[in-house]
Amino acid sequence: MAQLFIGLVNGCILILVALGLSIVFGLMGIINFAHGIFYMLGAYAGWLTVHLTGSFWLALAVAPVTVGAVGILVERGVLTRIYGTRNASFAGVLVTYGLAIMVPDLVRMTFGRPGKPFAVPAALSASLFKLGPTEVSAYRVFIVAVTLVLLPLLWLLLNKTNLGLVIRAGTSDNGMVRLLGVDVGRTWTITYALGAALAAFAGVITAPLVAVAPEMGSFVLIECFIVTVVGGMGSFLGAVVGGLLIGETLALTGMLYDVLADVIIYLAMVAVLLLRPRGLFGQEGMSEE
Amino acid sequence: MRGLLAAALVLATAPLYADYTPFYLGLLTEVLVFGLFALAFDVMLGHAGVMSLGHSAFLGVAAYTTGLLLARGRAPVEVGLLAGAAAGLLTAVVIGVLVLRKRGVYLAMLTLALSQVFYYAALMWTPVTGGTDGLGNLPVLYLSPPLALRLSKRPVTRYYVVATIVFVALLVIRHVLASPLGRAMRAVKANETRAAACGYDTRRVKLAAFAISGLFSGLAGALLTLVLEFVPIENTHWSMSGTVLIMTLFGGTGTLLGPFVGAGVFIWLRDFVSKYLEYWEVFVGGAFVLIVLFMPDGIVGTLSRLRARRAASPVATDERPVEPGPLAAARSPATAPDGVLLESRGLTKIFGGLTAVNRVDFQVRQGELRSVIGPNGAGKTTFFNLLTGVLPATEGRILFKGRDITRLPAHAVARLGVARSYQVTNIFGDLSVFENLRIAAQSRVTQYRCWGRADRLAPVNRRAEEILALLDLGAKRHVRGAELSHGEQRYLEIGIALATDPEFLLLDEPTAGMSPEETQRTAAFVRTLAGRVTIVLVEHDMEVVMGISDRITVLNYGQVLAEGTPAEIRGNAEVRRVYLRD
Repeated sequence: MAQLFIGLVNGCILILVALGLSIVFGLMGIINFAHGIFYMLGAYAGWLTVHLTGSFWLALAVAPVTVGAVGILVERGVLTRIYGTRNASFAGVLVTYGLAIMVPDLVRMTFGRPGKPFAVPAALSASLFKLGPTEVSAYRVFIVAVTLVLLPLLWLLLNKTNLGLVIRAGTSDNGMVRLLGVDVGRTWTITYALGAALAAFAGVITAPLVAVAPEMGSFVLIECFIVTVVGGMGSFLGAVVGGLLIGETLALTGMLYDVLADVIIYLAMVAVLLLRPRGLFGQEGMSEE
Repeated sequence: MRGLLAAALVLATAPLYADYTPFYLGLLTEVLVFGLFALAFDVMLGHAGVMSLGHSAFLGVAAYTTGLLLARGRAPVEVGLLAGAAAGLLTAVVIGVLVLRKRGVYLAMLTLALSQVFYYAALMWTPVTGGTDGLGNLPVLYLSPPLALRLSKRPVTRYYVVATIVFVALLVIRHVLASPLGRAMRAVKANETRAAACGYDTRRVKLAAFAISGLFSGLAGALLTLVLEFVPIENTHWSMSGTVLIMTLFGGTGTLLGPFVGAGVFIWLRDFVSKYLEYWEVFVGGAFVLIVLFMPDGIVGTLSRLRARRAASPVATDERPVEPGPLAAARSPATAPDGVLLESRGLTKIFGGLTAVNRVDFQVRQGELRSVIGPNGAGKTTFFNLLTGVLPATEGRILFKGRDITRLPAHAVARLGVARSYQVTNIFGDLSVFENLRIAAQSRVTQYRCWGRADRLAPVNRRAEEILALLDLGAKRHVRGAELSHGEQRYLEIGIALATDPEFLLLDEPTAGMSPEETQRTAAFVRTLAGRVTIVLVEHDMEVVMGISDRITVLNYGQVLAEGTPAEIRGNAEVRRVYLRD
């Protein structure tokens, strides 16, 4: 039971990070290797806020906003240069990969190599209830609750607003949306920043559970790749179901042997690829090109 | 050739400049091994257009194989090397089979994820691989008699042995890239759809690229084990794939020298910059971003482009001009006794709620020139895509010479002798005009042969020359396809279709976007082709259609509205109504 709950918490975090990855891939066709660094930067922004002001709640707001701004800079400053070039999606992988190598080292330069401790906010540090022998802290419940609030909001944003309509339309045919007179460039910037902000938010709320470290981005990035492959690239539901599945699998098998957990999620991905190459909820053709 | 001699000379004398210092010799040896790895990686990226992020698995599995054979099996070094290369090949083929259902960046991501399975397997299987401690305890390494050279702690010997092996591998890779298979890989990179329409099984060509790349990555992994006398687990981690990607792009993809230069620059950065700058990855990552953005051809690619611009000479080629002969005689008559070459029965294609092609019965006789006309959206192009296997039919059957080809993929249909042109120009833009035709002609002769030079296949060259003369593009033989004028590109596309020596030719609006003169010339050209091949033509220009067709089929809303001779169609009230309303 306790492991199931831990899996749920893991899953929530994975969902938040994977959603950004998935939406950006769907719209822009770019596998965003820089996504992990947004998660990591979010955690650092949160740590810095807490360090300076002592307020966790402020950190929750500061991290997504600042990292969202970094996302805008990356998109406007770097990614726009490759749009429309030949093999733009390859180049997108390459430049974001370059950033993913560069930024953690920059962070090490600024904040030092060792990770930073990040305390659970006092208001949430109490143990809320017991699942079997394990105490469940209020903080983990808080993560689940926050995700439960955020997800419907995001769904509404993507499905009931004009921006969402443009994003979804662009996911199936960017050229056509452009022809219809929509400023695709701005939509891409907003989407990219949104993904970055989500990852950063996930980074802050994870920070108290793990130490804040420059390497945290690359771990979560690969797990999110698997989530999106299993769930289906560009699919909202896919990211949610994939995130929960992978989160639970990691928690349940990790209880036995932690390396095994990693192997199992990769094998799960291979199985999905063989049986249903487009992922559980992916649209046909989405991942072809 | 001169380049190779120079490379051999540099390799042979390099220890002189390094003053025989073990440290520098060790670095040089490492550069060669990683250069080979990067070159193997680039066989896929630069020569077949497939980006893999799973090469760490090829290298890692090979390194463990060699390491285990040497450390536990006490096998001879040579056996270790061969087994490592074989292990790399096998890993690459397994991963290739799994990921080649996908394309582009998605494929890249799948290779990454799959390669990590190997990493975690190595991590878990500590008794065999040593886990995070790595695999050590290699014996003192000797080559077998008669050479019997000692490698361990002999940096100079080790350097020369590794340099020799890497140089031979370079020669082999160079040979393979110039072979028919190498050219097919280039065609797949340049335009996969077009390559499939020429009859290339593009997935298999890419799998062959995986295999070659895996073989030499494996060799690199085996050599790395000899050099380090240790197998670290980091070999197998995906960041190794990132490293080889960075090396290749630093040096320049698509060149033979680039990967070695890139490996040199990377190792230099790692070993010298890190001495002064603790956070050298900032430097590597930043340089990488800048190179991708501003120097996408890499160091070698950019230098050679600058040199080429200064010399402004046409690309040198080894193609030997062949006297154009007459076009091959018409093929043997169709095996179908009634003279029907291609037939569709109840052919239907439904996209979601839209029935694009609706129960079309269609017959074309041998030698006929048939036009398919109809208002925009009548389903003409979809009908073509069904006939050529590009789209699967929802219902109905397609028979070619009495054989059911309904379920065949595009390349298999093409191999039976069905060629096509596309409504939107579809040529190999990056290849020369001659190579466009040559690669199409080659599909008939050999696809996967990986030895012998592709440009010395006499019948293929002859065929390409014939078509070149027929198209009257001889003066532009060395020009890149993308640099031709629109009309010339449309011509070239018909030429590509013809070069595959088809029995059945589908032309989708060949005169689209042409000037009136070009249109007339094209119409006359298509007419001269009739009689040699059976042609189905989709065309909007009524003058052309009425002037050259034997029979005309009119499609409307995916259904056959009428069929008959030009005169019958002109007099058909139903057809007039549809067209007038349009």
